[in-house]
Amino acid sequence: MELIRDCLDKQVVDRKGHKMGRVDGIIIELSGGRRPIVSAIELGAVCQANRLTKSLGRLVKSISKRSSVVNRDPFRIPWSKVVSAGTEVIAGVEAEKTPALAWELWLRKNIIARIPGAS
Amino acid sequence: MKKLLEISLGIVTSVGGFLEIGSIATAAQAGADFGFQLIWAVLLGGLCVIFLVEQSGRLAAVSGHTITGAIRERFGFNYFFLLFIVLSLVTLLVLSAELGGVCIALELSTGIGFQWWAIPIGLLVWLLIWKGTFGVIEKGVSILGLVTICFIVGAIAMKPDWNRVISSAIPTLPSHDSSHYWFIAVSILGASISPYLFFFYSSGAIEDRWDENYIGVNRVIAFTGMSFGSLISVAVLVLGALVFLPRGLHADHYSQLALLLQDAFGHWGFILFILSLGIACLGAALEITLEMAYFAAQGFGWNWSENQPPKKEARFSLTYTVVILLAIFIVLTGADPLKITITSMALTAATLPLSVVPFLILMNDRNYLEEHTNGWFSNSVVILIILLTFVLAVVSIPLQILGGG
Repeated sequence: MELIRDCLDKQVVDRKGHKMGRVDGIIIELSGGRRPIVSAIELGAVCQANRLTKSLGRLVKSISKRSSVVNRDPFRIPWSKVVSAGTEVIAGVEAEKTPALAWELWLRKNIIARIPGAS
Repeated sequence: MKKLLEISLGIVTSVGGFLEIGSIATAAQAGADFGFQLIWAVLLGGLCVIFLVEQSGRLAAVSGHTITGAIRERFGFNYFFLLFIVLSLVTLLVLSAELGGVCIALELSTGIGFQWWAIPIGLLVWLLIWKGTFGVIEKGVSILGLVTICFIVGAIAMKPDWNRVISSAIPTLPSHDSSHYWFIAVSILGASISPYLFFFYSSGAIEDRWDENYIGVNRVIAFTGMSFGSLISVAVLVLGALVFLPRGLHADHYSQLALLLQDAFGHWGFILFILSLGIACLGAALEITLEMAYFAAQGFGWNWSENQPPKKEARFSLTYTVVILLAIFIVLTGADPLKITITSMALTAATLPLSVVPFLILMNDRNYLEEHTNGWFSNSVVILIILLTFVLAVVSIPLQILGGG
């Protein structure tokens, strides 16, 4: 597998096939003399902003820290939970219980569900 | 049998959904100012869009990816984000033009100023997306859009000089106002080759669960639907030439556009024009709004499907809601919808390479298309037309601005 071609920017779905976001970053650990290992994939606005420019990344990070909606941004999924990387990256987690869907759930509860005919 | 039904429905959808404010306004102005001379631009735009739509359907059928999803994967977040910002700005302008188009149809029929219609029509668009499914929106409005065939009937009834119509398929240099001539040519190309159209088509193919068995169906739909659609635009241009040119009108105010079918059908012509304009622009407004939400959702990896209730996809639903509010706001400012239309079509033309070049690279990537990658012919047609459009846009837009519009 090639990390950039087959993993980065792919759609991430949970084990039930619910969309969680895209692979915004890949965490590679380097430790003394051993081969680097892929430890996690990263999702979230902070990671996206970081890819644009580092200063934008810091700005989004400081905004995100003050927001009460997301407690962990970027959100990491350990590589051990990544089931397969084909057309989609399947993560062995439950999407709604992770910070990846924090905004989705907040908007659903506080805005969308209050508009008639939303369900 | 099922395939035949799908092909017919697909063609009806493409034909009924082809015309919108951009193609009507640019073709009518071209006819008014230059007679049949700019027919080549409509045909060239139509040819390019046939290829782009076919490719977009093939990408979705073979790879299971929408164009947006594939662009994000292949070119990374930063490129996606750049495209997201540029296309959102340009497409928002196009959306306000379409919304304005429906409002103009209502102003022409009721006498109540177009701004007053912005909120109710925006609300209608939102309600149809909020409550409707993909099938209702795409097929329902497009079937009503078949009313636009009246332009073809009208053009034939006006008995144009067919020799001159056909000979205008070959580009010629203008005898007067050359900067205006090229600017209108660019706007026509921008109106035909709109990224929202082929991006939306790939989203639709995924919503309808196309797979490799649909490659043939897709080819027939793209070719027949888009060719016939382009003929409607040609008919608008022919009518513009026969109705406006002899009267010395420039079709630069929307109240003049309503005359387009009057010589052919009398009072009914006025009614048919209003219906065509209203339905065509409503259909386009629905598609564009949805496509803007699809684009964000697919690129960022959110839930997206017009077939799910809004609660299941809060970010997707919020996106189209905000998009509609912004478009309503632009119409409410009272800016001339026809000016917004022409400007947004020229901007579309100028920004085409940003979306088409990466799309073509994808269409030649075996990781996505397997053995169904583009042949040299499809590649060359699209590259040549996009290059020509881009060069014309870069040269003629500044000239038009300097020349005082």
